[in-house]
Amino acid sequence: MDLPLITPSTDLKGKRILAVDDDRINLRIIGGILRHEGYEISEAASGEAALDLYPTFRPNLVLLDVMMPGIDGFTTCRTLKKTYGDQCAPVIFVTAKSEADDIVMGFDAGGVDYLTKPFRPKEVVARIRTHLINQLLAEQQKLLVSQLSKANADKDRFLGMCAHDLRNPLSSIRGLAELMVEDAIGTMTEEQRDIVQTIHGASQAMLQLVNELLDVATIEGGHMKLDRQPTSVREIVERSVYLSNMEAAKKESRIEMVAGDAAPPIVDVDRNKMRQVVDNIISNAIKYSPKGSVIQVSIHSNGTTAGFAVRDQGPGIPDTERHLLFKDFGRLSAKPTAGEKSTGLGLAICRKIIEAHRGSIGVENLPGGGAEFSVNVPLFK
Amino acid sequence: MIFEGSILLVDDEAHIRKFISLLLRHLGVTRILEASNGSEALAVYAREHPDLVMLDVNMPVMDGIETLRNLKQADPSAVVVMLTSLANRQTIDEAVALGAANYIRKDAPPEDIGRALAETIDACFESGDEPAPAP
Repeated sequence: MDLPLITPSTDLKGKRILAVDDDRINLRIIGGILRHEGYEISEAASGEAALDLYPTFRPNLVLLDVMMPGIDGFTTCRTLKKTYGDQCAPVIFVTAKSEADDIVMGFDAGGVDYLTKPFRPKEVVARIRTHLINQLLAEQQKLLVSQLSKANADKDRFLGMCAHDLRNPLSSIRGLAELMVEDAIGTMTEEQRDIVQTIHGASQAMLQLVNELLDVATIEGGHMKLDRQPTSVREIVERSVYLSNMEAAKKESRIEMVAGDAAPPIVDVDRNKMRQVVDNIISNAIKYSPKGSVIQVSIHSNGTTAGFAVRDQGPGIPDTERHLLFKDFGRLSAKPTAGEKSTGLGLAICRKIIEAHRGSIGVENLPGGGAEFSVNVPLFK
Repeated sequence: MIFEGSILLVDDEAHIRKFISLLLRHLGVTRILEASNGSEALAVYAREHPDLVMLDVNMPVMDGIETLRNLKQADPSAVVVMLTSLANRQTIDEAVALGAANYIRKDAPPEDIGRALAETIDACFESGDEPAPAP
């Protein structure tokens, strides 16, 4: 987007001004002042003549006398505005000094400013210059907006490409590698197995990154739609605990539900997105706790919100890194304890999802070590 | 998972067909048919009457939704599972309204795909019984 920078001293030479006045002497005076500034001037002696001249001259600005025989300046201005709409050049009315009512009516008719007779050349030049600059800025803004929406559409196409042309092949690579590790096509040697496991791990990490980048792009682009339904916190949390325990078992860790409320709270959330948040927080707890840890998950509720909390046995969050925790790519100094991958996007996505629900997400370090992540979302009413 | 029936796998991408068909074989499905687009799928379906169809949504020539509409018109009892990439609620709702039995995200890990498929088979066929041959 290489647009010239528009400043108060931008060169306006060659800009076209249509001067409309039935008084030839006035036209001569104003024409002299403006030509001296380098503007191109066209003159019309009546409103009708101005309307005729407008489409061929295509002025950047119109100077319009109010009192004229035939149609007056206000009517001329209204006609111009009606005919050319947003594309119409700014109109400055020319009026005698005493006619205060004229000024108000002129603004009503769509004028942007007024000049009083007799002219003071410096005032004429300054006002015209201001409005021409404003006009340039407005045109540039329009151009920028249209360029931006084009760029945004390009980005969406690129994301579509990411989704289809990167995600699908990656998930096939991951799936095929996983099936090979499970001996779906016969037994492999240790070396072959090691290599296929590497392919699996690498494609898994790439797939997660692509998914998370897509998530961030969707959310940042304002395209996240919540499909809210009354949902049992317990159901979502229990499912995630069940599924995550398989992952935890690989590290000899386990996840346990801590007994909570008798009446399980029903919240108003997008189930898939809420699952994503629960999965992510539990998966982090496994990732950052040493092997053989016990991760505790509990459910809580008060009068207006409900949610869950996950206690890990990791190193906790250093005070100096707290501000990074929920930011995009905010990776902290703590490393996953079994070489797992981290994109630094997971918690940022969680925060955005929870904020979209008008909920809250937070973390506290536990006195005995470890951290507790807590999420609250509105109850279903 | 025990499934004696035949499955028609429809996806325009060869690697997806390769992955899902290997997964199906790994799960013990032996009768697997493949088609790479909607109209091919309709032809195979008319000829072979598979017991279950796994149908991709985004395909050139004839997309999954259009194929589903045609399949259900030709055989209202057809059991169709949609294969989706990004879960698009609108598309899923449309497919369900047209009579799709379920949808499966093909970017999910193999065990999730297997579980979703087993659920559908349990729900659509009498457990243990061989699916009734198509008329």
